[in-house]
Amino acid sequence: MAARALTKGLLGLRHSRAVTVGYSSVGHQYTTAASTESPQQPARDVTEEILNRSLEKPDFFRVSEFFSLKDLFNARVHLGHKKGCRHRLMEPYLYGCRLDHDIIDLDQTVEHLQLALNFTAHVAYRGGIILFVSRRRQFCHLVESTAKDCGEYAHTRYWQGGLLTNGPVQYGPGVRLPDLIIFLSTLNNVFQQHVGIRDAAKMNIPTVGVVDSNCNPSLVTYPVPGNDDTPAAMELYCRLFKMTIKRAKDKRKQMELLYSLSAPSTPSS
Amino acid sequence: MAALCKVVSRFRCGVRLTSSRVILHSFSSDSSGGSGSDQSAANRPRSGFAAAFDLQSELQREAESAAASSSDSSSVKEEDFASLLRRSPLIQMGPAKDKVVVGTIFHVVKDDLYIDFGGKFHCVCQRPPDGEKLRRGSRVRLRLQDLELTARFLGANTDTTLLEAQGSLLGPLEAKEGRENQNKDSAGRRADPAAVKPEVL
Repeated sequence: MAARALTKGLLGLRHSRAVTVGYSSVGHQYTTAASTESPQQPARDVTEEILNRSLEKPDFFRVSEFFSLKDLFNARVHLGHKKGCRHRLMEPYLYGCRLDHDIIDLDQTVEHLQLALNFTAHVAYRGGIILFVSRRRQFCHLVESTAKDCGEYAHTRYWQGGLLTNGPVQYGPGVRLPDLIIFLSTLNNVFQQHVGIRDAAKMNIPTVGVVDSNCNPSLVTYPVPGNDDTPAAMELYCRLFKMTIKRAKDKRKQMELLYSLSAPSTPSS
Repeated sequence: MAALCKVVSRFRCGVRLTSSRVILHSFSSDSSGGSGSDQSAANRPRSGFAAAFDLQSELQREAESAAASSSDSSSVKEEDFASLLRRSPLIQMGPAKDKVVVGTIFHVVKDDLYIDFGGKFHCVCQRPPDGEKLRRGSRVRLRLQDLELTARFLGANTDTTLLEAQGSLLGPLEAKEGRENQNKDSAGRRADPAAVKPEVL
C-alpha cells in the first residue's frame, strides 16, 4: 500500500516534470516555424490536466455525502410492488418479500446510486448533454423543472420511434445526441419497457435508470434499484441528480479558473 | 487421554463459578468437548459458558467504545437497513386489511380526495357528504383495505396494478387532548412533512 502511494507520488512528480519539459521542448522545437500552435498546446494540456485530475480519486465529487441510507428509507425508496408484479431479473436487488410486498435492498441501492451519481457528475464535468426521461405523468412537471434548473434537457412526452436512431434525418444532419440519459422511470404508460432504453443501447449512449421491482434492469448501464411511484422518492432522486450536476459544473468552472490562472506562470522557454 | 485433559481444562475455567454451577457447566462443556475432539486444542470452538462470556464481554467493549465516541456517529452506525425496516411502522403494522391509519390529502379533484398515508401508493376516496372542510393538507383517518390494488388476469405473465391503494375514509383527524398526548410520542416524525409514516391508531 505504501509502495503504491510512493509510486503514485513519483508518477505525479514525473508527470509535472514531463509537462514542464514538454513546454520547454515545444518552445525549442517551434522557434523556427510559425508559432501558431504553441498557444493552443498549453490550452490542450490544461484541458487534459483538468480531465485527468478528476480521475485521480474514486469519489472526486464526493457524491456519497449527498445522501444516506436513512434519507432513502424516509423517502420510501425500499418499497416495491407486489410479488405478482415482480420482474425475474430484479430478484437479486430485492431484500425480501413481506406479506406479498417486495422490499428493495437499500444497501445495494446505496452502492448503485453512488455509482450512478458519480458517473453523472463525471459526464456533467466533461460538458456532456444529459437527458432526463420519464413517462410518469404524475412527475412530468417535476422532471422538467429539475432539468431546467440544472441546465440540462428532459423528454417526458411521447417518444417518437426514431428519436435517437433516426436523429440526423428527423432533426437535421450533425445533430448532437445526448451523452447520458437518466430514466427516472423505465416503464412507459402501458407497463412496457421504455423504447429509449433499447435505443440508447443501440446508439452506445450510457443510461442511468431507477428500476422498480417490476422493471427490467438488463439494458440499463447504471441501474438504481428503487421505488419510482412515490412522490417523496421521485423528489429525492431529482434533488440528488440536480445537486450532482450542479456540483460537477461548478467544479469544472473552478478547475478551469485554477488552471488558467496557473498556466501562464509555468515557464514556457 | 485427550478427552481427560480437556475435561480438566474445562473444570479449571468452571472453577470461577459457585460450586453448584460448576458441575452443570462442566457437564455441558464435556459433551461439547467430546464432539470437538477431532480439532486441535488451539482451534477448538468455544462453547457453553466460555462462548457466552466472550460474546458478552465483546458487546460490552463495543458499547463502551460507542459511548466514548460521539453520540451522532454511533447512532448512525447502529441503524442499518435491517433494523430500520424492522422498526418501521409499515412493517410493525402487519397486514393492511382493516387497519386504521392517519393520512394527508395532497390533491383534490372535485369530489375525489387523494390521500397519502405513508405507503408506496396513495388512496383515492370520495368526499363524504359532511366533508366540506376537507381540503389539500388536511389530515384524515382512514381504514385501509389494501396497500396496492393488483390482480392477475387470464393469459397475463404478471399482475396488472392500478398504482393505487384502497381505503375507506373515516373522517377528519380531530385534534383533541387525547390525540395530542399520542402526538407527543411521534413529534419528531410529524414535524417532517416528507416522512409521512402510517400511524396506526
